[in-house]
Amino acid sequence: MRVFLQSAASGILIGGVYALVGIGLTIIYGVMRVINFAHGELLMVGMYLTWIIFTWLGVDPIVSVALVIPLTFLFGAFLQKSLINRVLNALPQNQILLTIGLGLIISNVVMLIFTSDYKIITTSYSSSTLNFAGLRLSTPLAISLAITSAITTILYLFLLKTDTGQAIRATAQDRDAAQLMGINVKRMSVLAFGIGTALAGTAGALVSPTYYIFPQVGGAFTLKAFVIVVLGGMGSVVGATLGGIVIGVTESLAAVYISSGMKEVFVYVLFLLVLLFKPSGLLGRSRM
Amino acid sequence: MTGACHLKALGPKVLSSLRGSPGRWWLVIAVVVAALLAFPQTMSSPYGLHLMILLFLSVAMGESWNVIGGYCGQYSVGHAAYFGVGSYATLMLLQYKHVAPWWGVWAALVAALVVSLLIGTICFRLRGPYFVLASIAVAEIIRLIVLNWKPFTNGAEGILLADIPALKLGDRVITDWLSKTPFYYLGLALALTTLLVNYLVQHSKLGYYLQAIREDQDAAHSLGINLSLYKNVALAISALFTALSGIFYGLYIGFIDPPSVLGVDLSVQMVLICIIGGIGTNFGPVVGALVLVPLSEALRANILTKLLFAAGVVKESSAVGGFLKENLAHAHVLIYGILVVVVILFMPDGVLGFTKKLVARGARQLSAAPQPLVGGLRGPTGD
Repeated sequence: MRVFLQSAASGILIGGVYALVGIGLTIIYGVMRVINFAHGELLMVGMYLTWIIFTWLGVDPIVSVALVIPLTFLFGAFLQKSLINRVLNALPQNQILLTIGLGLIISNVVMLIFTSDYKIITTSYSSSTLNFAGLRLSTPLAISLAITSAITTILYLFLLKTDTGQAIRATAQDRDAAQLMGINVKRMSVLAFGIGTALAGTAGALVSPTYYIFPQVGGAFTLKAFVIVVLGGMGSVVGATLGGIVIGVTESLAAVYISSGMKEVFVYVLFLLVLLFKPSGLLGRSRM
Repeated sequence: MTGACHLKALGPKVLSSLRGSPGRWWLVIAVVVAALLAFPQTMSSPYGLHLMILLFLSVAMGESWNVIGGYCGQYSVGHAAYFGVGSYATLMLLQYKHVAPWWGVWAALVAALVVSLLIGTICFRLRGPYFVLASIAVAEIIRLIVLNWKPFTNGAEGILLADIPALKLGDRVITDWLSKTPFYYLGLALALTTLLVNYLVQHSKLGYYLQAIREDQDAAHSLGINLSLYKNVALAISALFTALSGIFYGLYIGFIDPPSVLGVDLSVQMVLICIIGGIGTNFGPVVGALVLVPLSEALRANILTKLLFAAGVVKESSAVGGFLKENLAHAHVLIYGILVVVVILFMPDGVLGFTKKLVARGARQLSAAPQPLVGGLRGPTGD
């Protein structure tokens, strides 16, 4: 029982970060109906930004989130304006291929600049643990869960309470109707892609003390992000949060009880089962 | 009129005179095939042969994917599954059970067929982006199983092929597989076969069904086309030839491991060959391979950096030059990314469609302009 609780708890911790990645993807999908296959690469950009800020300026990865958010937001907004915006009305396959190409470009450019050597960020708390109700939790992941919760709350409030947030949700519900109501849907798209990128970048910053940093790290996250989003229902922010936690816990339990090499197999099997039997996701057809 | 102008005018002329006369296309193809057959006799450098073999492999991979992705419109991004299953089955049989590859290949094809039916039954219930995601997930599951089932597949260490037994007919040794030449002909045969399969599929009833499914699934269904049957048939054809490409790769390179034959990158590469060349056309993947293989090899072999140095854009001794020389070779996939973005944004029909359009425009301008004196160049048969 103790082992079960322990692994479930660490699953929830990493699930928080997954949720952040998933929410970013779901917002982009919700507003633009574009499936962003470069999402993991955006997270990887966040990791490298954190690494740069850490090695050159000596800023702690957790503190650097404050810098990573605006930088990745601008990067995302730029990508939307320069590339994604041009394929908004194209075939879904072409949108997917464009983002796949974008991902290849980002990871290869990063590889050109930083080589494919593994980089690590070692902080004083990187491998420390803290006790919580008799369970031992990894300090960096616990901190990241706290930050993730704060960011998610702020995001919910932003989407629910502010005019811009409502405009984003309206665009997600019905693009044409939103435009007819006088909402600048192009601006909302740029905003949504920026927010999505910033969330991925933040997740990258938060996992950087515990993960190896290398140009190809994004791929695994991209696929996981899809699993999370489909699990929660495409376009649903609440669903993505829940999906992230479910995936984190599944992975963690599978690693403990079956084999750590096979943990992802269970994630993908779960994904296929959801796709086949509950394609609208765990939370049904809700959007944002 | 200058000579260059004549030549310029000749290109569209030749092409437009070829259009509408399939007999002449066959002539062109026959000449190209004859040249390719004679190529190893004139080419002494193994690197040249290696490049051609890579080209054939890319053509075969692209054409195989084209059957399901191009004609049927089902963008599978999990084709590495068939590639990997094919190469793993053949190489494992050869290495552990000493089954010669020309027997092992049949077992591998059966394995690929079973996998394709399994994937088809699961994934074809889904449409559009969901199908793409499911195909990736299934391929990843297979990769992870191969990676972790160490006693059976040798896990991350992969399989290093010792040597291939000599192919004998009676007492005569046909080939001992020591040079690149047998692989060259094998690759050429594979590329031509996949090209022929594409042609046959496109011009058969099956091809019309597939294209109907691609254009509008529901309409096709309402016309009585059995969606899951024909999608599965297309996937099976595609999977068999992808597996053959994988087997060819495994035997030629002599080493396989999960990332190289089962990774998502490989699946993406197959899609990109088609997209960049021109999806859903016979020769699209050939064009894609012709564009991609030389470019990525040029990056890998550092030819691009050398060109930059020669052109004086960057100095070799400068910091940037040294950096490029050291690292540009690792980024050969970059070219795939850049090309696919360019193609999606500016050439929706791929390089082949784009060139055709340019040629058509050239021909139209030519016929509008006063006729230059090219009558004599029209060849003995005339028009």
